[in-house]
Amino acid sequence: MIQVKDIHKTFVVKDKKSRKKKTIEAVKGISFSVKPGEIYGLLGPNGAGKSTTLRMIAGLMEPQQGSITVFGNDTKADSEKVRNTLGFLSTDLGVYGRFTPRELLKIFGEFQGVDSVVAERRGLYLLERLELSDFADVKMESFSSGQKQKVSIARALLHDPKAILFDEPTTGLDVLTAKTVLDLLKIMKGEERAVIVSTHVMPMVEQMCDRVGIIFNGKLHGDAPPKEILSQYGVSTLDEVFFKLAADGGMA
Amino acid sequence: MRGVWLVFKKEIMEFTKDRKTLFFTLAMPFILYPLLFGMIGKLGRRDVQQARSNQTRIVLIDPSSVLEPHLRLLPDDFKFVDVPEGDIKDAIKSDILEMVVTLEESAARDLAEHRTVRVDVLYNKVETSGSVGMQRLEKVLKEFDKTAVQSRLQKLGASAQLAVPTEIHSSQVGGQELMVAKVFGSMLPYMLMLMLFAGAMQLGIYVTAGERERGTLITLLATGLPRHQIIWGKLVYIFFMGIVISTLNIVSMAFSMGVMFGSLESSGAKLAVDGQEVAIQSLSGFTMIADPVVIVLTLLLMIPLGLLFSNFIIFIGIQAKNIQEAGTAMMPVFLLVIFLGVFSMAPGIEKMGILPYIPIVNVSLVIRKLFVQQASVLEYVVAFCMTVGLAALLTYLSTKFLNRESAIFKST
Ligand SMILES: Nc1ncnc2c1ncn2[C@@H]1O[C@H](COP(=O)(O)OP(=O)(O)OP(=O)(O)O)[C@@H](O)[C@H]1O
Ligand SMILES: [Mg+2]
Repeated sequence: MIQVKDIHKTFVVKDKKSRKKKTIEAVKGISFSVKPGEIYGLLGPNGAGKSTTLRMIAGLMEPQQGSITVFGNDTKADSEKVRNTLGFLSTDLGVYGRFTPRELLKIFGEFQGVDSVVAERRGLYLLERLELSDFADVKMESFSSGQKQKVSIARALLHDPKAILFDEPTTGLDVLTAKTVLDLLKIMKGEERAVIVSTHVMPMVEQMCDRVGIIFNGKLHGDAPPKEILSQYGVSTLDEVFFKLAADGGMA
Repeated sequence: MRGVWLVFKKEIMEFTKDRKTLFFTLAMPFILYPLLFGMIGKLGRRDVQQARSNQTRIVLIDPSSVLEPHLRLLPDDFKFVDVPEGDIKDAIKSDILEMVVTLEESAARDLAEHRTVRVDVLYNKVETSGSVGMQRLEKVLKEFDKTAVQSRLQKLGASAQLAVPTEIHSSQVGGQELMVAKVFGSMLPYMLMLMLFAGAMQLGIYVTAGERERGTLITLLATGLPRHQIIWGKLVYIFFMGIVISTLNIVSMAFSMGVMFGSLESSGAKLAVDGQEVAIQSLSGFTMIADPVVIVLTLLLMIPLGLLFSNFIIFIGIQAKNIQEAGTAMMPVFLLVIFLGVFSMAPGIEKMGILPYIPIVNVSLVIRKLFVQQASVLEYVVAFCMTVGLAALLTYLSTKFLNRESAIFKST
C-alpha cells in the first residue's frame, strides 16, 4: 500500500533575466493511495508535477509538507527500507556503458541485497521477457535508447519490489516493446504489487489503469477509475478531460 | 559497511572494464619514464662527451702574444681558427666557432708594468661546447695568473704566499649520501603530491560528476544503500587508486632516474641540483637513502594526504553538474597543490616557524626532514593529525551534501 498524504513541494529557481529568485509550486497538496494489485495512472501535461510526485514517493526528494508511507515505511524516517521495497524508473536514467546488462543486474542485485543466484535467475527472466537476451553480454555503450530503457526496466524490477513507480516507461519505445512493458506491468499487478505509472499515452491508461489521478498545476483532479472520471466530466475520452481542465485553468 | 565495499567493488570493476583507462593509468608510467629519462640520459651523455672530445674553436686576437703560447701548449683543447666573415656573434650562434678571445695591444706592456691585463671573451653559455670552452680557458688563465703573481712577488722580494691569504680545505659532516637524500627528499613530497592528486582527479571526476552526467547517479541513489556508504565507497576507491597510481609512478620514476644517472656517471658528467653540484655517482645509489623507517613513515603520511585529496575531489566532483564543470572547479585546487609543492621544495623554508601548522605544506615539510633525519615527533604528529582532521571534515561535508536533494537533481 502506497499512501500519499497532502504533500507539498516548492522549488526555488533563479530567473536569469530579471536576476530574481522565483518560487515554483510544483506540488500543492496531493493525496491518494494505491493498494497492492492495483495500477494507478498519473496523468497531466508537461510540468504538472508528476515526476516530482514520483520522486518524492521514491525517497529521492522530500516533501516540505505532508507524508508518504510505502508498505508501512515512512519515506523520511525509513528511506532506505522504502528504497528497498521500491522499483523506480524514469526516462532520464542512464546505464553504465562499460558493463553488460548481465553485469549490471548482478551489481544492482548486490546493492539491493538480493541473493546472487536469485538475482541472476530473475535478471535473465526479465531480459528475456523484454526481448533483450541476445544482448545480455554486450557492453551497453553501444545500445540504442530503447535498449537502455529495457535494461533500466529490468534493473528496477530485479529485486522483486512490492511497489513500482514507472515515470513514462514507454517513452522512446516502439509499439511492440511498449506492449511488452505493459504486459509486464499487468503481470506485476497480478503478483499483488502496487504500481504507479505516469504517462501521456491516454489509450494505455484507459485500457489498463484501475484508477487514475489527473495532476494539473500541482493539484490532483479526480482520483477514480477512468470510466468514472469520464462521466464526471461528461466526456468520452481522457484527452477531452485535459482540454476542459486547460480551458478553465485547472479550476474545475 | 557492506555498501562501502559494494560501491568500491563496482568502481574497480568499471575501471578495469575500460582498456584505454587501464592502459593509461597502469601501464603508461612504465613506458613513459624509462623513455623520458633514458632519452635525457642518452642525450646528456652524448652532449658532454662530444663537447669534451672536441677542440674548442677559438679566434684569438692577441697582438702582443701574451696568451697565445699558453694556448698553443694545449692542442687537444684549443684549435685556432680565422676570423669568419660576417657577424661574429652569428658565427658563434651558428656553431662555426666556440669563442672569441681579445686582448689589447698593450697587453704585454701592461703585464710587464704590473697592470691588470684585460681579456674579453665572447661565447655561448647555453651550449655545452661553449661552457666547456670557457672552463678550459679559465683553467689556463688561473695557471697564468698564479705564475704571474709569483714572479711579481719574487721581483718584490716577498713570499709567494702573500697572495694566498686563505685556502679552503672542506670536509662534509653529513657525507654525500645525506646530501643526495636531501635533494631527493625535497623532490619526493612534491612528486608524491602531484601524482596522488593528478592520478586520483581523473578517476574521481569520472565516478562523481561523470555519474551525474551519464544519469547513473540517480540509479545508485535509488537503491537501498545508505547515502553515506555510497560516498565512502567512492572515497575509498579514489583514495586507493591515488595511492596505487602514485606508487607506480614513483617506482618507475625512481628506477628510470637511477638508470639515467648510472649511465651519466660513466660519462663523468656532473649534475646541478638544488643549486649544488652533486656528483652523479652518488645519486645512482638510490638504495642508500632507502632507510626502511623513513620509507614507512613517509608512506604512512601518504595515507592522510591521500584521504585529504580524495575528499577534495569527491567534495567538488559531487557538486558539479558535469565533468567539464568538475574539471574547471578542480583546476585551482590542483594548481594550489602544485604551488604548495613547489613552495615546500624551496631551499631554506624549513626555518619558517608557522609552516608546521599549514596543511599540506606541513606534510611535505615533514617528509623532507625525514630524509635528512631532522624531523621531530611533534611535527610529524601535528602534520598527521591535521591532515586526518581536514579529511574527516570534508568527508562529513560531502556526505551531508549528497543528502541534500539539490545535489541529486541539479540538471532540472
Ligand atoms: N529540481 C528542480 N528544481 C527546480 N524546479 C524543478 C525541479 N524539478 C522540477 N521542477 C519544476 O517543477 C515543475 C514540475 O515538474 P515535473 O518534472 O514534476 O513535471 P512533470 O509532470 O513530470 O512534467 P513532464 O510531463 O514534462 O515530465 C516544473 O515546473 C519544473 O520546472
Ligand atoms: Mg516528468
